[in-house]
Amino acid sequence: MTQRHILLVDDEPHVTRVLRLALEKAGYAVTVAHDGHAALACMAQQLPDVLISDIQMDGMDGRTLCPRARAAYPDHDFLILVMTSMTALEERDWARQLANTEFLEKPLSPRQLVARLAKHFAVSGATA
Amino acid sequence: MKLNRIGIALIVSALGVIALVVTLLVIRQQDSRAAEVRAKGVSLTRSLSSIPVQLLDNSKPGLGVLNTMFAYQDNGDLAYAAITGAGGRTLADVAGRGTFIPATPLPADAITAFGQRSLPNKEGARGLIEFYGPLADRSQGQAFVRVGFYQPGYAVLARDVSFLALLALTMFLLVPLVYIVIKREMAPLDALGRQLHQLADVGMAQQAHAGDVRELAGSLQAYLQFASRRIAQLEHGSLNASADNQVLQYGSKKLAAALQSLPDGLLMLAPGGLVTFASDKVEPLLGIAIDDILEQPVDAWCRDPALRTLLGRHTSAQRGGQRDTVHAHSIDFVPVNVEGKYLSATVQPLTAAHGAMAFGTLLVLRDVTREQLARQAGNDFVAHVSHELKSPLNVIGMYAETLADADANDETLRVESLNVIQDEIERMNALVGNLLNVSKLETGSMSPERNRVRLDDLLRDAYEHALPRAEGKQLRVSLDLPRELEAVAIDKDLFRIALNNLLTNAIKYNRPGGSVTLAARNEDHEIVISVRDTGIGIAADDRERVFDKFYRVSERDAQAPRGGHGLGLYLAAQIVELHHGRIVVDSEPGIGSTFSIHLKIAPAAAGVVTL
Repeated sequence: MTQRHILLVDDEPHVTRVLRLALEKAGYAVTVAHDGHAALACMAQQLPDVLISDIQMDGMDGRTLCPRARAAYPDHDFLILVMTSMTALEERDWARQLANTEFLEKPLSPRQLVARLAKHFAVSGATA
Repeated sequence: MKLNRIGIALIVSALGVIALVVTLLVIRQQDSRAAEVRAKGVSLTRSLSSIPVQLLDNSKPGLGVLNTMFAYQDNGDLAYAAITGAGGRTLADVAGRGTFIPATPLPADAITAFGQRSLPNKEGARGLIEFYGPLADRSQGQAFVRVGFYQPGYAVLARDVSFLALLALTMFLLVPLVYIVIKREMAPLDALGRQLHQLADVGMAQQAHAGDVRELAGSLQAYLQFASRRIAQLEHGSLNASADNQVLQYGSKKLAAALQSLPDGLLMLAPGGLVTFASDKVEPLLGIAIDDILEQPVDAWCRDPALRTLLGRHTSAQRGGQRDTVHAHSIDFVPVNVEGKYLSATVQPLTAAHGAMAFGTLLVLRDVTREQLARQAGNDFVAHVSHELKSPLNVIGMYAETLADADANDETLRVESLNVIQDEIERMNALVGNLLNVSKLETGSMSPERNRVRLDDLLRDAYEHALPRAEGKQLRVSLDLPRELEAVAIDKDLFRIALNNLLTNAIKYNRPGGSVTLAARNEDHEIVISVRDTGIGIAADDRERVFDKFYRVSERDAQAPRGGHGLGLYLAAQIVELHHGRIVVDSEPGIGSTFSIHLKIAPAAAGVVTL
């Protein structure tokens, strides 16, 4: 089974550091980008199976990145996970417009993220 | 003075009256004497004319009627009596002593009728009145009777002198009586006059008798009250209408001025929807000229949809007589024509007599930009702070989980996790502490207790406090103080916070192996405290804003997160400002930054102990 590729976008190094550790431990290949521009550059290099992005970032934020990433690769089927606070409900409307886009609730648990990805790949792997 | 004149006038007029009365009496007496003489003369002439000449003849002494008559006359009025024949020949005559019978010829009518004439007497004697007539006995031919009387003289007055004197005396005695009566009647007026004279003479400077003045004032006041009542009555009729009109105009102008001076913009709409009044403040609020609004329906000038809806709904409801128009409705909106403004509009029905009278609608426009911005800032603040608090919690939670799941022998991950957790807790702690201080500063509950202190100890404390944190990051910290530092007046606790924030930044934004220098120096009238680092530096654009609340320098290129929250420098700057000092930043990206605090040297005052 080929290694799944995860693109992790956040400007908070502690967050990307912990998540990278957890994801790599779970067997994923992880690329980290600190904002939208860097993320799009990474995607040009290698398309991820899952794009995990924070919303509030210096430079290009998640709200700009996600639609662009989706629009740039219409044929590529990938899951977008948006990290958002439970309280920031107003942020969710734009994300609902996007296909195959879900939310990750903050505060984030690396365990839950790994479990969720496993479930996602199990379902998509089974149908694929 | 006045009364004396009146007295004199009275005396003179009394004398005049006496003279007049006497004159009239004398004339009357003269007339009666003349009538008496005439009656006597006529009867005597008639009596004599019927007597025969022989009897009259007095040529023989002691005989004849003439002599007898003359001898027995009862008074001395009879001057003479004569019988004359034709041609003036005297047939008989008798005359008083010293009296000559005038030879004046008789008039022609004496032949047929009796008559009377005045004749001049000789010089110095009384005039004569002569009665004449034809003699009945014509034995001697044509003959006439002539009887002469003296003109009644004034000598007769002597008889009446006592009566006249009594009359004059009585009249004269009446004069003082009248004088006294007049004087008595005029006494109050005279007194008032004297008081006025006194007041005028003495003047207000000298002390007049209070009683007099009060009395005078009382009488004057009574008069004035009466006069003003009368004047008011007169004016009431003629001036009422114009006065009412002026009062109305005055009231209307005053009301308009009051409406114009209100801080809010006011619009009044007639029940039909036309604008009848717009205060000047409306123009800058809506960005529409007043002239374009007045006498226009709402649709003609209003370009703000929300306001138009509000007014339209209100006026149509009012036209329909609906009950909900008695309530006010408010909206907040952004005016189309004015940029960066927030307005609040309130419509209210203009009614009187509990809604029985409706004058239309009142629209009040209020500039709520400040309130809106303050609310916005408050929301931003809460969002920012909650984000700042959640981020470290998120990281702590994730590291704790990682730590729990980590292999027991993965020492590197364990140390890293614990360090990050500790850093994040410190960051939260600093944030909460600074938030509290900022809140205290902004609400004004933090009032500095300034004391005159030497900074040496304070700087040394701060230096020692910073040492362990710097060493943990392999930084060199040095303290550079002159031998003697002038005293400054500061609140030590507050100033420690400012200094600590500067040192924390100098450590946080430094490079590994760099240095932090805390220095102080005397400079003119100031003490300059500087914190110099060898860190990432601050770009020119950011330098102006580093003291802004929540402003954070972009850390995109940083290799490790610094965990700033945008309050440290803001708080430091606020504290320095509270001490009437100033804080400046000098920086070069990639080389380092220097933050300098300038404080005025506190002059040594007598009796003030330097702590």
